[in-house]
Parts: sequence; C-alpha cells; structure tokens
Amino acid sequence: MTYTDLLGRATRILFFTGKGGVGKTSLACATALVLAESGKRILLVSTDPASNLDEVLGVELTGQPMAVPGAAGLCALNIDPEASAKAYRERVVGPYRGVLPDAAVNSIEEQLSGACTVEIAAFDEFMKLLGNAHATSEFDHILFDTAPTGHTLRLLKLPGAWTGFIATNTTGTSCLGPLAGLQAQRSLYESSLHALADGSTSTVVLVSRPEPSALTEADRTRAELSQLGVSNQCLILNGLFVAQDQGDPAARALEARGRQAVEGIPAGLAVLPRLDIPLLACAPMGIAQLRGMLKPGTISSFTDFGAYRVPPSAIPLSDLIDAIEAAGHGVVMTMGKGGVGKTTVASAIAIELAHRGHRVHLSTTDPAAHLAVTVGEPVPKLQVSRIDPAVETARYTAEVMARSAAQLDAEGIALLEEDLRSPCTEEIAVFSAFARTVAEGEECFVVLDTAPTGHTLLLLDAAEAYHRDVARTTSDVPEAVRHLLPRLRDARFTRVLLVTLPEATPVHEAARLREDLLRAGIQPFAWVVNQSFAGSGFRDPVLVERGAREWPFIAEVRDRFSSRLALIPWSAEAPVGPERLRRLANSRAGTDAEGADT
Amino acid sequence: MKKLEVFDPPMCCSTGICGPGVDPTLVRFAADFHWLAGQGLVVERFNLAQQPQAYAANPTVTAALAQYGNRCLPLILLNGAIVSKGCYPTREELAHMTGVE
Repeated sequence: MTYTDLLGRATRILFFTGKGGVGKTSLACATALVLAESGKRILLVSTDPASNLDEVLGVELTGQPMAVPGAAGLCALNIDPEASAKAYRERVVGPYRGVLPDAAVNSIEEQLSGACTVEIAAFDEFMKLLGNAHATSEFDHILFDTAPTGHTLRLLKLPGAWTGFIATNTTGTSCLGPLAGLQAQRSLYESSLHALADGSTSTVVLVSRPEPSALTEADRTRAELSQLGVSNQCLILNGLFVAQDQGDPAARALEARGRQAVEGIPAGLAVLPRLDIPLLACAPMGIAQLRGMLKPGTISSFTDFGAYRVPPSAIPLSDLIDAIEAAGHGVVMTMGKGGVGKTTVASAIAIELAHRGHRVHLSTTDPAAHLAVTVGEPVPKLQVSRIDPAVETARYTAEVMARSAAQLDAEGIALLEEDLRSPCTEEIAVFSAFARTVAEGEECFVVLDTAPTGHTLLLLDAAEAYHRDVARTTSDVPEAVRHLLPRLRDARFTRVLLVTLPEATPVHEAARLREDLLRAGIQPFAWVVNQSFAGSGFRDPVLVERGAREWPFIAEVRDRFSSRLALIPWSAEAPVGPERLRRLANSRAGTDAEGADT
Repeated sequence: MKKLEVFDPPMCCSTGICGPGVDPTLVRFAADFHWLAGQGLVVERFNLAQQPQAYAANPTVTAALAQYGNRCLPLILLNGAIVSKGCYPTREELAHMTGVE
C-alpha cells in the first residue's frame, strides 16, 4: 500500500493506535496535514492525558477545535481529562453556590475530584465527538491520535461495557458513581458504538515499529478490536531502516533486526493493508517537518556535528544499581512515556539486584505489560508478577462479599453483587493491589514497571484522593493503603527513575511527569536515557545524524533536571533474557565522537 | 401512603463501595432501604454529590444544613419532617419510626 492508497481509503473517522513511542502522533499529524492540503476539512483530536500534540504541531491547543497556523483546513483539539473533569464539576456544583451552605458545596466538589470523575468526564467528551454527528458536522474527517494502547483499549471498550451495564442495571440505586448523570445519554453511546463498528465510517490505523514487542502489541490490539466488531483496520510500519553504509556493522545489525521483525510479523497483521515509512534522522516537529515525513528526502540534511559528545557525567545503569543496593530493600519505580523502555530498565535492575544476591519482586501495573517475556526464564531470588485488573477485581469482589455477607439477607447480597459490577470496582481493586505491592518493599526489593504516564498519574492522583479520604472514612482501610503515600514520598524507601529516549517528546513528557511528582511531594531519584545512538559507534549517516541530534536533549536532562543521569547505549541485540539484561545494566557508552568527526 | 426520604452526605455511590475500604454501615443500610421499599412505603434516596437540586429545593433540608452543617447528614425525613440526623438507623429503628411491622 502506498500513502496515496491510505489516503484513498480514509473513512470519516480514523483512529491511530499502537504501543507508546511508535510515532502515532507524528503519523496522525502528517496524515491530517496531507488530507487538509487535499482540500478536506480536518479535525485532529488527542485523547491522551499526556498528549504532546501541542509540541508536534507547534501550537497551544484547548478543548475546542482550533485552526492550526500554517495548515489551511486543519483544526485540532486536546481532550484534557483534568480540564474536562473540572468543567464537569463546575456544571454540577456551580448552580448551588450561594444556594446551599459553603461547606456542603465544598464537600460536593471534593467528592467529585477523584480519579473516577476524571476518567468519566474525559469519556463523556470522547463520546460527544464520536457519537454526535452534529457536533462535528463541519469536518470531512476526524482523526484520533489515541493514547497508548492500554488506555486506548479501555477507552474503546468502555462504550460496550457501560452500555451493557446501563442496560442490566435494574435497581437504579446502584453505583454508577459520577456516571449516574449520563444514563440519559444512552442513545449517544449506542450511535458511538455503531460508528466504531461500521467499516465505511471508521478505520483503525495500527502503528508499529519493526520490533517484535511493538508488533505483538499491535496484533493484540487488532484481535481485541476485531472482537469488538471493529474490522476495518490497516497497518503502518514506522521507522524501517536500510543501511546506507554497508561497511558499518552496527548499522547492518540494526537493519537486520528490523528485517527479522518484519519477517516474523504476526499472521493477523500480515493480511492487513500495510504502509512502510523509512527511519527518519529525526522525529518530525512542526508543520514543515511533518509535511516532509510523507515525502522522504525533504527534511534538510544535518551537517553540524561539532557538539557531538556523550556527556561526561553520564554513568552506566550499574552505578545507579549500586546506590539502590546500598539501601538493602525498598521500592524502585520506572516511569516515562510509553515505549521508552521502562520494562527493559525495570527488568535489568531487578535481575542485576537478584544476581547480587538480593530477594527481588518485579511487578507492573501496566495492563499491556510483558515482563515475563522480557525476563525470559526463571532467575533465582527473582519473583515476577503483574497486577492483573481482572484478577484483582475478582479478588476484591470476593473479599467484600465475604466481609459483608454475614450482615445481609439474600436480597441485600444480590444488591451488593450488582453494585460491585460497577466500573469503579476495578479501579479500587487495582489501587489496593498497587499499595500492597509497594508495602512489600519493607522486606525486600520491589521493582515496579509502571504503566504509561497518564495512567500512572491517575494512580498517584488516586493515592492523593484516598489519602484525604482515609483521614475521615470510618470504613475498614487496609494498612497498605494507609501507608502508601508516605512510603512513596520517602526518598530513602521509594526511588523513582524517569526513563526517556534522547528525543524531544519523551524528554519533555518525562519533565512534565517530574513536575507532577514534585507537586505530589515525590522527588525522582535519577534519570535514565535509554537506546542512545550517540554512544553506540554508528557510522551510517542517518544513524550518525540521529546520534548527533540526541546531544541537546541529553544535555537538557543533565543541566535542568538531574545530575544523576544514566545512559544506556543502543544495542543490536534485543534486551530479552537475564544474560542480555545484565549486559545492558553494565554497558557503558563509548565517547565515540570519531564516527561523527570523520 | 407514608413517604420516607434519605438525604445522604456527598458520596460516589450509595453503597460506599468506591472508598478505599467498604463501609459496612453503608452496605447494611442499602439493604435495609431496599427492604423498606418492599414494605409499602414510598422511599427516595438522594446523594448530595449527584442530586444537589433535591437538597436546595427542600426548605427543611437547607435549614438543617445551614444550622448544623454537613454533620446532620444523612438526614431522614418522614412525610417531610426530620426523624433522624447524622446516622444510619438500623432496620429495627427504621421499622419503628415508620410504623412498619
């Protein structure tokens, strides 16, 4: 499939989805731009809580469609869940200011500031765009730059789950939480579901890098969406590299790795229409570069290699592990944008600590995580687990039923069972499991590979809300939950590692995450720059340029955010299995400026 | 026909299953309330976080809120008059105050 074919197939609604860091935003923007330039009226929407659409388009967006300067016919908006939640709260509370006593009004506001409300408010905005043709009638195409996969799936699955929930809720008193007000919008949800499943209206564009883990995840998304009746899908393979300098062994290894991944493409993906995009020397920023993304060769060639040096203060990951090991126990959390290698870094740290003789528990809250695949085989002293929402929900439900059943009659039990089927239950259950896992850090090392940025923030946000709740509630609060926030704030107990790639978007998202952590009273321990081309000794011009372009971002991290900075050079071997992960933990970037200087 | 109205404090939901732990009182009361509905009474339950209109529109409720603050919640009205303030009565107490046998 060529790019013209993709544009020819463009339905009114296009979803771009894939693992974090595969280039969804860039490709959604570039596609929107080309469609707009063909004379169509385009609305580009980000539903990612940690959206960087602003940065890529070079314009500050709001929750309303806004014309993008320099791109006639293109409008964009950001669904900001926090802002949506605030607006939702104000809609509920506003009319009662001065009518009800202030204390009552304040207490309503506080009740509506939990993570549920944020999720539901964002969902409501999404539904309006998807289900209400009138709200978007002035646009020919609507493109959704959807959030990282786990979140996307939740977003896309919710209409099904909640429509089902509303239909089977018989007592009317059940817990819909802040969703209660939305029952009236049932017809809106139904038309959204229709739009999603109708292949002449909607297309899902699966975006992947030529890497096994990204392809596996794309295939999982494909299967899940197909199950939901969404069958009109196509695939964009972004970042295919062909070595220009065949005498560069590292470049040939990179090319071979991509080729192998494409050869091993899952069968379900292989039958989809596919577009290949070559690896670019830099991630496109701004209208001019986005335009160039689809017309290769138009991005200006890079010649200034003068500043190309690995920062002298960058240390190998093993130096960070030394500092972590010294504490004897505690929690390590890897955070950052999706796709930067949080799982790899978390696994490498866990395996190295276990190898040094410590008891380690490696776990994740990411619904789409693949820890077991990364670790590969059993390692002595290392326990690998995941916080599985379905399992945790079942466990939590059983616990609540067991505790409450004694004081209820049959009818009361039925009522409670129905209540526990609400969307909130999963959120609470996952949260409790997270708190429990953190508590284990008192006894051993706990390494948590956390979910992508937005989801993580919601979790921490929930921690804050619960912290407030815990102080006043009379209910039976588990000890782990009560101690969670103090533990996360204790720099000697919890060590947060911000993981990034040496590129603009992941660095800036990690910086925003750092701000949020500081606001929550959590000081990050160190930064880890992963997959650095700069330290890897490439000679191929595209890869040398990529390496050279990393430098300002590495310097930015070092100078503005953290002097404790570990750098992991790009490696030709996939970071899977204990041996390779230990090698990665101990690998040292060469100060190989010679490749650039010659 | 007798009418019982319950004005809850602001809550995510009326069984309290959304808190960091489940409040057994709320679970028990949800069942008792459901039972009462089956005894021939007209029963209604309001949540301050979701239905502030019901509170604002009822002078008895707004007066109680102004005088006692949120402490008076849950507030229970029988035929418009306050019969309970600041706690969830047991099933026996509910039966007694509504005259259900």
